[in-house]
Amino acid sequence: MKTFQKFGQMPIVLTVPALAILLVVFGIPILLLFLTSINAPDFSAKNYYMFFGQPANVRVLFQTIEVSVVATLICLIVGYPTAYLIVTASKSVRTTLIVLVLVPYLTSGLARTYAWIVILGDRGVINNLLLQLGLIHSPLQLIYNTTAVYLGMVHIMLPVMILPLVSAMMGIDRSLMAAARSMGARPLTAFWRVFFPLSLPGVRSGSLLVFVFCLGFYVTPAALGGLGDAMLSNFIAGQVSSSFNISRIATSAFILLAVAVAVLSMLGLNLMGAQARAAAPARRSWVVRLPILGRLKRYFGEFPNPYRAKLWTTQLYQVGDDSRLSNVFGTVFVLLVMVYLHFPGLIVIVMSFSAGTFLEFPPTGLSLQWYRSFFADPSWNGAAWTSVQIGVAVTILSTIVGTLAAYGLNRTQPRVRGFLTMAILTPVTIPVIVVGIATYLGLVNLGLIGSKTGIVLAHSIGAIGIVVVIVSATLANFDRRLEKAAKSMRAGPLRTFMRVTLPLIRPGIVGGAVFAFLQSFDEFVVTSLVSGYSIRTLPLKMYENLRNQIDPTIAAVSSLLMLVPVLWLIVLYLTWWRSRQRDHHPLPELAA
Amino acid sequence: MHGTPPVLLSEVDALEKIPVLPQIEFRGVTKMYGAVAAVRDLSLTVRRGEFLTILGPSGSGKTTALMLLAGFEAPTAGDILIAGRSLAAVPSYRRDQGIVFQSYALFPHLTVTRNLEFPLEMRGINAAERTTRVRRMLERVHLAEFGGRMPSQLSGGQQQRVALARALIADPPFLLLDEPLGALDRNLREQMQVEMKSLHKEFGITTMCVTHDQEEALTLSDRIVVMRAGRIEQTDTPEALYDRPATCFVANFLGEANILENPGFKVESDATPPSGTVAMIRPERIYVAAGSAPKRADADQRQYVAGTVEDMIYAGPLRKYYVRVGRSVLIVREHVAAGQQIFRSGDEVRLDWLRCDVRFVTA
Repeated sequence: MKTFQKFGQMPIVLTVPALAILLVVFGIPILLLFLTSINAPDFSAKNYYMFFGQPANVRVLFQTIEVSVVATLICLIVGYPTAYLIVTASKSVRTTLIVLVLVPYLTSGLARTYAWIVILGDRGVINNLLLQLGLIHSPLQLIYNTTAVYLGMVHIMLPVMILPLVSAMMGIDRSLMAAARSMGARPLTAFWRVFFPLSLPGVRSGSLLVFVFCLGFYVTPAALGGLGDAMLSNFIAGQVSSSFNISRIATSAFILLAVAVAVLSMLGLNLMGAQARAAAPARRSWVVRLPILGRLKRYFGEFPNPYRAKLWTTQLYQVGDDSRLSNVFGTVFVLLVMVYLHFPGLIVIVMSFSAGTFLEFPPTGLSLQWYRSFFADPSWNGAAWTSVQIGVAVTILSTIVGTLAAYGLNRTQPRVRGFLTMAILTPVTIPVIVVGIATYLGLVNLGLIGSKTGIVLAHSIGAIGIVVVIVSATLANFDRRLEKAAKSMRAGPLRTFMRVTLPLIRPGIVGGAVFAFLQSFDEFVVTSLVSGYSIRTLPLKMYENLRNQIDPTIAAVSSLLMLVPVLWLIVLYLTWWRSRQRDHHPLPELAA
Repeated sequence: MHGTPPVLLSEVDALEKIPVLPQIEFRGVTKMYGAVAAVRDLSLTVRRGEFLTILGPSGSGKTTALMLLAGFEAPTAGDILIAGRSLAAVPSYRRDQGIVFQSYALFPHLTVTRNLEFPLEMRGINAAERTTRVRRMLERVHLAEFGGRMPSQLSGGQQQRVALARALIADPPFLLLDEPLGALDRNLREQMQVEMKSLHKEFGITTMCVTHDQEEALTLSDRIVVMRAGRIEQTDTPEALYDRPATCFVANFLGEANILENPGFKVESDATPPSGTVAMIRPERIYVAAGSAPKRADADQRQYVAGTVEDMIYAGPLRKYYVRVGRSVLIVREHVAAGQQIFRSGDEVRLDWLRCDVRFVTA
């Protein structure tokens, strides 16, 4: 009781567990890594000269940047109209579409990459179809090229682009468009002069997120690309497994990080333009005074957007009636995007019931043999069980630690809060391979390589960040007068927290827990580095199969994995919907 | 009638023949949302240069009526005419109207000046002319030095004035106001009522306003249309509407009313009450006195009833009594004055009113 009261006065103490884990597993190692890369204690740029001295390195670096830029642009070009059509659709259509974007977002990236192998492979759906139709005589080379990499990357990244865009567009007051039209602006003029400038924050955050995630892409280029399509992540991971030269690895990792930071600040700068004036000039913390840090901070501020977006499956407001989906082009476009997002998954599900000895589409007969094989084969169900164990441990650890940290941050003064939030979010906002290398180093120092504890810690640094984001968003909407009210009714700090605060922020905590679990359950890059070949999680086992394509059981596993987000969405819907029932009065009548 | 130059109108071909001060006409307009009729067979006329207010509670269809006129919704049946021309085929951006939105709808990414320029720009007016007109308009609404500000840097009252200025700057032939003062606090609202009244007088523009605020409606309007559940309940000038409400709903919605339906005493009146009506009397038309007080000189024109004070509420310039008479409780409103006898709950009192102050309203 006493300690809790003390915490009440020193809320920052609540962030200590989160920061401690972060520092030991990630923070100190990444500093060491940086020192190694600059050749401490001699301090020279020798390693960097060496990196740029080799044309192969430079080629991979430029390829990484090029692929990331192109993939981001494709996502933006496809995502912006999609988001616009979603936002302007009628309420029920909009909800459906948002769910349809969310489901692939929450689905295992490995399962989704696998789907593309199934479609594009030499014996894949397309080649089979063309062969059967007699249009071709030998399989076309559709996979293991750059196009396949783009197909796969955009497929995975598109929801990451669409969700912040939808978030920004939903925030645009619809009466502004009506106002523009009432003043004589044609629909297209109203769009360019009013809607588009106001949606730019969404464009910025979506592009930043997609770009940085793309920089760290590992699985897709490795599984769908040819030898020449390797990205820096693959290059770094290759160095880890072949010749473990720490200074070279550290150098590559920091070059990747530098690219991320550089492009982030450039993008932030260019797109700010008009927006900067609109932003409230007051309340600038010291962080903003350093230009790079300021931009980074903005980026960190944008990171939560897709997570906020998720809250809308249950919380949608009414907008005007002009449904642009009635437009034929719009409908066709959205349909195509949805087919692109869902068709690969559906193919895999259909094929997982195949009765043949290898995968074919359409299946010649139906059987559950691959599901049987999954549940019977100890290497599969063992891997799944390991993943579940690790996932549950990560969920418990990161939900508790993350909620404490979010609560503490919420009550800390804004300057400190901004800085600490930035620190806690670092592992989820920089290219994942960099996190992986740092974590590897951290776990080596702790002697935890190849242990479940090690993997749990490695996953938790990311999961804590996600929990902090989601719980903080909930706390920001929490009316603190309720706590004062409870205290005025003689409830102590602990009882106030348990009886008032906790029940009201529970939806956020449940959401955080769900995403923490998903983060762990689908984690591949970091796990592959720290597992030390002794522990096999489900994603590791799947990746191994993906490369070798021997065991069609992976189709059954992927199908099961596609069920996971649907289940979680139902869980989230139930918690959030129930909390809404309590918090809000029924919607006001339609026409006043 | 007024000196507004019709320059702009000629530039908008769809409505080029609209005179400066048009008359707006709703002819049997119905708007269905699914099976629900938001507006049912609405017919009304906004006369040239008139300030007409549609007053009603939420859900009465008043906002729908405004949206139909603005062109954001299309009527399910019926037609809206401006100066005798149907608006059916004219999209909102060619209706050449000025609208003040409930939340003002100021563009948050543009400065005050750029906000004001927007409608001018859409009408293809050159930059020099725009600058002059914006400066003139900003001076008119006392915001001359605020042109460079963003809307978020203005107070509520200033935002309201910018919204009004933006609606008026392109000399639209008619002005639509959607709960124009709803977002302001009380003092500011009264101030803005005066300001709006003077702007309307100055521009003489045909105006349709939509509100649920009776005070706003009474102070601003030439005529008021009271709507209820998608239909017009009564249309009249503010004074007539308050003094001679046609229905119980209007009597209660505009001000307070004592509806004497089966009150437990006989309500005397000079005329025979029309069938299907009930008696109504406004609280300020009833006088309260001690039971023993001498009757007035015009006692033969008055009805006297005895009652018991149930409650007294003091509200600054007014004192309100709740007096039980027979089966009903009558509200009496008295202006506070020196030397008045103050009654407490339980006091026996005598109420009186002029028989000609009793109104009959349909239930």
